[in-house]
Amino acid sequence: MSHEKVHYRTICNSERATSSLGTMSSRGFRVATTVAGVAATTVLAGCASDAPQDTWKPAGPNAQKIQDLQWPIFLTAGIVGVIVMAFIAFCVVKYRDRGQAIPDQAHGKAWLEYLFIAIPAVILTAIAIPTVGVVMALNDTDDTECVINVTGQQWWWEYDYEVGADGTICGYAPSEVAASPIITSGQLVIPADTKVLLRGTSRDVIHSYWIPRLNGKRDMVPGRVHFLRLESDTPGIYAGQCTEFCGLSHANMRMETVVLESAHFQRWIDNELEPYQAPAEGSLAAEGETTFIAQCSRCHQVNGLVDPGNGNLVVSYPDQFVYSGAAPNLTNFLGRNTFAGATWDLLTPQCRTDVWESSPEDFGDKYLAGVSQDCLNEIDLREWLRNAPAKKPMYADPAMLEQSDGKVRGMPYLGLSEDQIDQLIAYLLERK
Amino acid sequence: MAIIERPSDAVEVVDETTPSVATPESSYGVFRRPVETTGWKSWLFTIDHKKLGIMYGVVAMFFFVVGGIEAMLLRLQLAGPNGTVLSADKYNQMFTMHATTMVFLFVMPMAAAFANYFVPLQIGARDVAFPRINAFGFWAFLFGGLFLNTSWFLGGGADGGWFMYAPNSSVAFSPSNGVDFWGLGLQITGVASLTGAINLIVTVINLRAPGMSLMKLPIFTWMVLVVQFLLLFAIPVITVALFMLMFQRSFDATFFSVEAGADPLLWQHLFWIFGHPEVYILVLPSFGIVSEILPVFSKKPLFGYPLVVFSGAAIGFVGWGVWAHHMFASGLGPISVAAFSVATMAIAIPTGVKIVNWTLTMWGGKLRFTVPMLYSVGVIVQFTIGGLSGVTHSVAPSDTQQTDTYYIVAHFHYVIFGGAVLGLFAGMYYWWPKMFGKMLNERLGRVNFWFTIIGMNLTFGPMHIVGLQGQPRRMYVWTENRAGDGFFNIGFWNLIASIGSFVLALGILLFFVNIYVSHRKGTEKAPLDPWDARSLEWITTNPPKEHNFDRLPQVGHLDEFFHRKYEDRGSDGHHEFHQIATAEEVVAEEENNADGHIHLPSPSYWPILLAFSLPIMAYGVIYNVFLLIGGAVLGLVSFYGWGLEPHTAPEDDYDPPTGTAMEVAAHG
Repeated sequence: MSHEKVHYRTICNSERATSSLGTMSSRGFRVATTVAGVAATTVLAGCASDAPQDTWKPAGPNAQKIQDLQWPIFLTAGIVGVIVMAFIAFCVVKYRDRGQAIPDQAHGKAWLEYLFIAIPAVILTAIAIPTVGVVMALNDTDDTECVINVTGQQWWWEYDYEVGADGTICGYAPSEVAASPIITSGQLVIPADTKVLLRGTSRDVIHSYWIPRLNGKRDMVPGRVHFLRLESDTPGIYAGQCTEFCGLSHANMRMETVVLESAHFQRWIDNELEPYQAPAEGSLAAEGETTFIAQCSRCHQVNGLVDPGNGNLVVSYPDQFVYSGAAPNLTNFLGRNTFAGATWDLLTPQCRTDVWESSPEDFGDKYLAGVSQDCLNEIDLREWLRNAPAKKPMYADPAMLEQSDGKVRGMPYLGLSEDQIDQLIAYLLERK
Repeated sequence: MAIIERPSDAVEVVDETTPSVATPESSYGVFRRPVETTGWKSWLFTIDHKKLGIMYGVVAMFFFVVGGIEAMLLRLQLAGPNGTVLSADKYNQMFTMHATTMVFLFVMPMAAAFANYFVPLQIGARDVAFPRINAFGFWAFLFGGLFLNTSWFLGGGADGGWFMYAPNSSVAFSPSNGVDFWGLGLQITGVASLTGAINLIVTVINLRAPGMSLMKLPIFTWMVLVVQFLLLFAIPVITVALFMLMFQRSFDATFFSVEAGADPLLWQHLFWIFGHPEVYILVLPSFGIVSEILPVFSKKPLFGYPLVVFSGAAIGFVGWGVWAHHMFASGLGPISVAAFSVATMAIAIPTGVKIVNWTLTMWGGKLRFTVPMLYSVGVIVQFTIGGLSGVTHSVAPSDTQQTDTYYIVAHFHYVIFGGAVLGLFAGMYYWWPKMFGKMLNERLGRVNFWFTIIGMNLTFGPMHIVGLQGQPRRMYVWTENRAGDGFFNIGFWNLIASIGSFVLALGILLFFVNIYVSHRKGTEKAPLDPWDARSLEWITTNPPKEHNFDRLPQVGHLDEFFHRKYEDRGSDGHHEFHQIATAEEVVAEEENNADGHIHLPSPSYWPILLAFSLPIMAYGVIYNVFLLIGGAVLGLVSFYGWGLEPHTAPEDDYDPPTGTAMEVAAHG
């Protein structure tokens, strides 16, 4: 049995235990709680291992608002459904032709018809009023505490943490250096208990940002800026997926939102802004740096990277080659634990479980440790470096793309040798 | 056009197999008018609404199979994680074309098949108001559909989803010609729908039998009428959008180019202003069919007929004010979202009315569970499920969790398959004896029904779970690390859905088997009135004569046929219905009093030629401007040919003194 299952069962069981602890002593109540307990067990049986994008397991106030609104409505719909079905079943059984006389050819009863207009009207009004309230509440952004820019492109998300007027990022000042914008991709890192506002757009087609356990989805449309609130008080990784069809590799456009408690978020910011450390001279990683500059730096930025050959800062100019004009910033690549549109894991399955399913208290440290050599999922990363478009369908062949002046979407086939891949992996292992 | 000089005692008209003997000449031009009554020409150039109806049905069923195969491939791909049946590119084409085919090339034309065949019969007319336009509509639909599907052989189908959101539909993001085929093909089928809509509206307004006031109109015809108005106003909107898309892709226009300042949401508004009424275009005909069938097999009139009519009309009106509920996640802003959310809830009221009225029609009835009745009850049950899940995402915040997930896929398949398609199958079983003179096998029909119902619930039911567990739509693969592993795990339920799709396919296959079995040699001819029906289309032979009715029926009741067969002999508020005439007697009464002069339009070459010019022009837009011009010339010639062709042939062409020869000619 996997670590994850054991852990979640514990949570579920403890929840159940807490709920039955609050029972009264009287016998009637005990019967009632037993029934409720059985019902709860049935429900919680699913709780143990629901999909990470379960839309019914809110982990923050925005998703909670939706959940509080929707479960009574689902319940009402269910009850109405059962009543209608029972009514139909009754008619089907009761009025089956058993040789009865031809019924009266009456065309209806006015009062009955009005009644059946009134009943749904009343139910729907009862649904409509709180719905409007929640729509307004979810769009209220006045008390935002942290703004992060989100940009979609085929087929990954970029995050851009601006430095606020007060010189901080989301209220956090870097400990050792002056604040400067942080650019990452795939995994959005946010501080816990903070009202985060995503300010989103797109560089090509419409994408949609959706972390089901934190909020509903919001389309990110080129030429427009849309807003989405995210907030959670529980550290952890929350999975999401682009939900507006965005072309060839729509299925491979995922994202995660990582919630870190305050101290850990501070550490994350400090780490992101740490100056570049070149690999030790003569190491495999140093060869990787050379390979990276030659093969990757055209599109991928590593902040502070200096070409040892000429002492120049290496700056990517991806707009020449990539339709969206951007490729993921790899400064702290292995500080994240998924890649290529958050579709593949950088962690081996075991290490992944350890981080993803860790308790909220342990999560921050485990996440900030990044991907170690032992935990690196080399299989997928090597496949990717060997031939990216074979792993993730992309319009990556410039010759095929006359219509967009040969600009590619996604990473092209680079023809790297196995030696070069070894070097790159050694180099990337230090990027965290 | 043909005029039948009929001896007043003529009862049986003609032997359909007699070959044509008279070939009337056109007064204009070089063409002789086609008058064959048998063989392929009799179908190619026909303007008989019944033949056109049958052809609509046959072609729609063909596309149903095509769309079904596409669906099976999708389900095969999703049966397990990381499916490899289809590539990402092929998968995207497959779901785009599955939806496009099912919506535009199956459900709409299948409803058009019934509308064409039965609206004139239900209102006691001899044909539609514009028979040649009717023929044109069919051929435009067929050629548009075939054109659309030729994309499979010319570089691949459209790959942007049936909603084809901009800017993903522009050339930079969808470089193959698929989207061009899609946009042009749908413009052609749109022309077909528009002409059909105008035709049927005029027919219903102008050609009703004497005595048939609007509130005595059979409910199917009513619903068809509402649908035609929806089409009349919705099709132009999508046509404008498609026209813009065509210019965007083929002529470098910038309607949807963000870099030129365009707002991609423009397309979404245009698409859904069409797209939402489209939903009602799909389901209302089936609502009409079900509303015909339930009273027949309950031996009661439709409960609250006026309310069902008005709720249909109300759905038609309110349906225009809810389009943005497809865009709750698009970033419209809270005021719009709240308004459309509430409007969407409002539309649940007239829809609920229908379900209640159907159930109350059964209440106190004398129910016979024939196959059409089974399908109709199936519609009530399945559509109720789809309607209730619909209410859950009229709640906009809830919808932002559900939209673009499989929960939506589940919802609209319960609505469109459970509501529209089951209703169409109900109609096929119900009207088959009327159209073909043979009953479909009841026993096989039951098996067909249960496989279909179980299959559809196995296929679409699990999608509720998968969607609420967060699986988005339109993904060519799903992976295990997003699947969970409890009772609700995505993997298990995806597998069940895929298995269900095969059960469903088997159910549909049984329908075709049933057609074969029921039409084998030696199967009995259907009785004149197999269901003890209530409406006008049954006051004629099976299948109906070319001219439908020997005498235009005089209508006194909503359920005219029923009241000709049964009489209320009760008194003092007590009702006691007794049969006073058999169907045979009722029909014989009509035949014995046949009208002397029966005017029927005669066939024409021009509708099919004009329709054929459309795909030629469309290929021209994609490949070569000279092809475009060639198609336009053919279209123009056909236009003039059509315009100059007398819509009623001069009497001296057609008026030999007497005789069977001319009657035969009239059947061409």
